[in-house]
Amino acid sequence: MKKTILTSMIALFAAQAAADSYLDFPVTLKDYEGDKESSVSYTGQSARHVLHDSLKAAVGQVSFGDEAANLELMNRYFSETGTDRAVLSPVSSAGFEVTPDVVSAISGGKNLADKAYKGAVPAWPGYLNGEQVLADMIARAARTEGGFDPVTGHDYQQLISKFAMGAVFYNQAVDNYLDELLAEDVKPNDQAYSDGAAYTGKEHVWDEAFGYFGAPADVLNMSAQDVYDIAKKNADIAERADVNGNGSVDLHGEMAYAHAYYAAGFDKGGKTNYLHTIAQAFYDGRDVIRKAKGDTLSKRERNKLYDYADVIAANWELVLAEAAFKYAGSTYSDIEKLNIILEADGNAAEAYRTYAKHWGELKGFAMALQVGGRDLGETAFELNSLIGFSPVLPGDSQVVGIDADGEMVQRKTKTLAEYQADMVRVQALLAANFDLQAKSNDVTASMTELLEQLNSGGSVEND
Amino acid sequence: MGPFSLSEWVGEFTDPRKRLFWGYLASAVFLAWLWSLRHPTLPRLWQRDVWFSASARADLKLFIINKVLFFWLRPNLLTQSAVALGVYLFLIGQVNSAGVLASSVPPLGRALLFTLVLFVIDDFSRFWVHLLMHRVSFLWAFHRVHHSAEVLNPMTVLRTHPVEGVLFTFRSVLVQGTVVACALWLFGNDLQLQTIMGANVFVFVFHAFGSNLRHSPVPIWYPAWLERWLLSPAQHQLHHSRLPEHYDKNMGVVLACWDRCFGTWHVSDRSPIPVGVNDQLPDEHQLGRLLLHPFERIVSAIRRRIHQRGKFKKFSEKGLQHEL
Repeated sequence: MKKTILTSMIALFAAQAAADSYLDFPVTLKDYEGDKESSVSYTGQSARHVLHDSLKAAVGQVSFGDEAANLELMNRYFSETGTDRAVLSPVSSAGFEVTPDVVSAISGGKNLADKAYKGAVPAWPGYLNGEQVLADMIARAARTEGGFDPVTGHDYQQLISKFAMGAVFYNQAVDNYLDELLAEDVKPNDQAYSDGAAYTGKEHVWDEAFGYFGAPADVLNMSAQDVYDIAKKNADIAERADVNGNGSVDLHGEMAYAHAYYAAGFDKGGKTNYLHTIAQAFYDGRDVIRKAKGDTLSKRERNKLYDYADVIAANWELVLAEAAFKYAGSTYSDIEKLNIILEADGNAAEAYRTYAKHWGELKGFAMALQVGGRDLGETAFELNSLIGFSPVLPGDSQVVGIDADGEMVQRKTKTLAEYQADMVRVQALLAANFDLQAKSNDVTASMTELLEQLNSGGSVEND
Repeated sequence: MGPFSLSEWVGEFTDPRKRLFWGYLASAVFLAWLWSLRHPTLPRLWQRDVWFSASARADLKLFIINKVLFFWLRPNLLTQSAVALGVYLFLIGQVNSAGVLASSVPPLGRALLFTLVLFVIDDFSRFWVHLLMHRVSFLWAFHRVHHSAEVLNPMTVLRTHPVEGVLFTFRSVLVQGTVVACALWLFGNDLQLQTIMGANVFVFVFHAFGSNLRHSPVPIWYPAWLERWLLSPAQHQLHHSRLPEHYDKNMGVVLACWDRCFGTWHVSDRSPIPVGVNDQLPDEHQLGRLLLHPFERIVSAIRRRIHQRGKFKKFSEKGLQHEL
């Protein structure tokens, strides 16, 4: 109840305009002698967002037959920490200038691998942890053209991207910074986070979580459509995105990434308010820390932070569940289209590619949903059973595991029609276990609507 | 929102999907008035005992009990969406042809066909369940509560024993869930129900033209040829008759064809009919009696049979209600 009220209040305040930029929280650290005015710093997270976007672009650039070079290219953005890494994405486009063009100009020495989830990931074959799953996907992508394996139906560009967002950003934020690192004896607020830093322990912990969400710092003064357009590098929003007026959109502080983009994508439909609910909770939590004026946080203040953290985690989880729901619907439609083409003996290559792409997004988000530190139990098991290790192919085969050499093993499991029905089950499972509101691509939307029309609340009318 | 909130109760009379919607009641009153002008000697709707007798008060008591009981019970019963989803998953898992007829039937045709089929199947299922309520002895024990009404008024439609209410809920859920799932499988997602004020257009017409007078003392009859197709209020009043020659007649709701197929059709008797059951109890309309008597009848019938024959008799024998 308490959290519901808090969420409602956050949503209410989120609707109000003219909040300060997240970057404007002042220095509160006592005895700070530097010249910085802002205590906000999350350049490391912005760098990782750029690494993620660039890794996704790199996977799309691999060419068949050049495995070593492919691996080197992808690992540059996954596991390496070199200073000469060019930004592959986001890069400037017509009417939308971005800066900088090298990752180290945002923050040096960062990678994705070190921060990837270290727990087991049963949704992928081979009993691997999150980091190993991403490395495994990269290794397999290196043997493909453009990251797509037509033999298994794996679109590694989507799988790597969607799972990395969960295994790094979501996991780090909700299972680390907004969880263990909020504890009383960890990163205290009356001490600098590190020697010479302009921010306290708790300030930086909170800011790093905000950074992983991927929203522009001025998010509270922007609409969901604005944030969505920024992530899409729409030229019409470039001037609005350039909050500091330096003539380009800064990849730290002004760009939109990852789950903030997906939250905005759902919110612009008008049924949800995930982006601003999460952003406002981050902002309000940060304000609690500011008001402590560099003193140790009291129990009451930390409890407030935990409440805001719960709002953030719950809504972030919903964004992932909404995304999985949406792509289960896309996959359902793709199978239908694929079947029509196959039955007519047409060329199904393009339809198959789209099916694999949407399946990759579904699988990636479904895997991401499971690495937030909350045990989803039976829901996770059922989700993984229904989706499987790969899409069901037109020959009714599917990846069921790996052999001793680490190669994917395929077997006949179920028909495409049965798998299509499983996509409906995935949506039903997600809808039953998460309070979804957007429900994009809802396969049974008509069913719900018709039953709602017929349902008169029930009566015991007799004859 | 709870079982005691005003909107929950008011909703019973403001939802055009329900038979007691005020508009339907108003049209029934209007039709009854018109009928009284033409047939001034026949019983009228506004008689004191029709609305205030012990029988009428019992209707109200059961309405209140069911309303509260089903508020909690219904979410725990089988739901339409569970049935619809189950049937839909079964169908698309068997033959991947969701929406296979979508392109061959225009949207309006699809909507009309779906609405009509839903109405017809719903009407048949009501008939069939009603038939079972009369022919299966232990079901009759519960349905007898409805027939124990000694005067009929529109509220009598809700004079239902809770056990019977559960059965009706299952019927509704199974029929609507199955038909919706099949229709979506055949026609795809772009499917509409044809409605007037939110109610199925056929149901709306049925209610707008005096369905509430089925439970009333006003014997509105149709021309004989029409009564062969649509059951008139007078034909349903005959269904409530105490007279043996009327037992188990006119089980249908809207369409008369089901009764004709099953040999239970009877043309209306254009005169006042005594309604109720012949084994009426002195305290028939007390709430405790209404709720518990069906169980007493079943237990005593079982005891009687065990005692008499040493074994259970088949429960589906025609006309057993009159033995029970």
